[in-house]
Amino acid sequence: MTQPLLSYKNVCKSYQQRQILNNVNLDIEPGMVVGLLGKNGAGKTTLLRNALGLLTPEQGSVHVFGEKSNELSAHNKTRIGYVAQQTFGYEGFKIADALALHRSFYPDWDEVLENKWLTRFELNPTTAINDLSIGQRQTLALIMAMAYRPKLLILDEPVASLDPIARREFMGDLFDLALDSDSGILFSSHITSDIERVASHIALIKDGELLIMDELDLIRDTVRKVSFADSRVDLSAYKVLNKQPNSAIIYGYTGQDIAGSIAINALSLEQLFVELHG
Amino acid sequence: MLEFINVNPNSGDPIYKQLHEQIVRLIVGGQLATGDELPSVRKIADHLAVNPMTVSRAIGQLVDQGWLERRRGQATRVAQKTTQKTDQQETLLFKAIDQLIQQAQQLDVPQSTLSELIKKRWEL
Repeated sequence: MTQPLLSYKNVCKSYQQRQILNNVNLDIEPGMVVGLLGKNGAGKTTLLRNALGLLTPEQGSVHVFGEKSNELSAHNKTRIGYVAQQTFGYEGFKIADALALHRSFYPDWDEVLENKWLTRFELNPTTAINDLSIGQRQTLALIMAMAYRPKLLILDEPVASLDPIARREFMGDLFDLALDSDSGILFSSHITSDIERVASHIALIKDGELLIMDELDLIRDTVRKVSFADSRVDLSAYKVLNKQPNSAIIYGYTGQDIAGSIAINALSLEQLFVELHG
Repeated sequence: MLEFINVNPNSGDPIYKQLHEQIVRLIVGGQLATGDELPSVRKIADHLAVNPMTVSRAIGQLVDQGWLERRRGQATRVAQKTTQKTDQQETLLFKAIDQLIQQAQQLDVPQSTLSELIKKRWEL
């Protein structure tokens, strides 16, 4: 078995007496593009920041490349890429100067790739960072996090401000990274249609708990909404993700009849998300 | 063939299933003929902006089911026609028919009326 790039084991974290993460277990392996899906305040950012050693769990452990995330060696730090929800820094710099400084931290930086992206996203190196739009800043942050082909890429709401064309192109770059460089990618987003396109795996988090983590296609194939008149219907053969008086969301469905059910419907990712929070 | 396929991430079906169904439709409908070459997985994935693993899953299933054939070092091609394929013409309609029946039932339209309606619209 290969060692996971990033591994959460029984991670608990609270903040001001509120439990933010509750016993989270999650492994990111090479080639995976994991979409982290959850409501605002569900714990997504806390989860991501734990991977970077910016936060330390109260219980459990987080390992990156086999090292504890808050005791990472300098070498391993240069193999992680991260784009925070709010960027930036480098205020007062021109793009070219900011990139030159940033580049100096990463021995594996690829200038050809950097230039390709600058041209493609129409960023002029002489422009001052202060003059960039939010979308342009986000693009630059992505270039800064990806030009050294990190083995582990962590993105907190990466594409919210990108236009649809830039988003598509950026997705292609993500796949190149995951498949050609065998990297692992963990990204959070609310945009379910983006996750549906990009992710190989989905991690669904609700109130600090990881409800499901599995292949996207497997989730789509085996998650169903079951409607019934009598709530005593037997669902013990499945993992029940949510139960209401007249319906339930189950996981692990493979086409059986369910006695007492009125309807069994497949759900899109967006419907699943809404139903789970109903 | 890229211009013939598209995916809708918000639909009820997973993307790999949408791709699978559309390629089967292209073969059954004759837009793709025996021996026609498919673009590479990466090319299809780029065009649709979806994860290449998803495309690969759909193609893999089509190869397993005999719709496509893959030879080492060559492009994936449409396989020889088999009897199984003509059966598929009808099964491809099942989903749409099931939806139609469900709607008719919800609207309290009896089967006989539905059949008549189909006949009428067919002859338009």
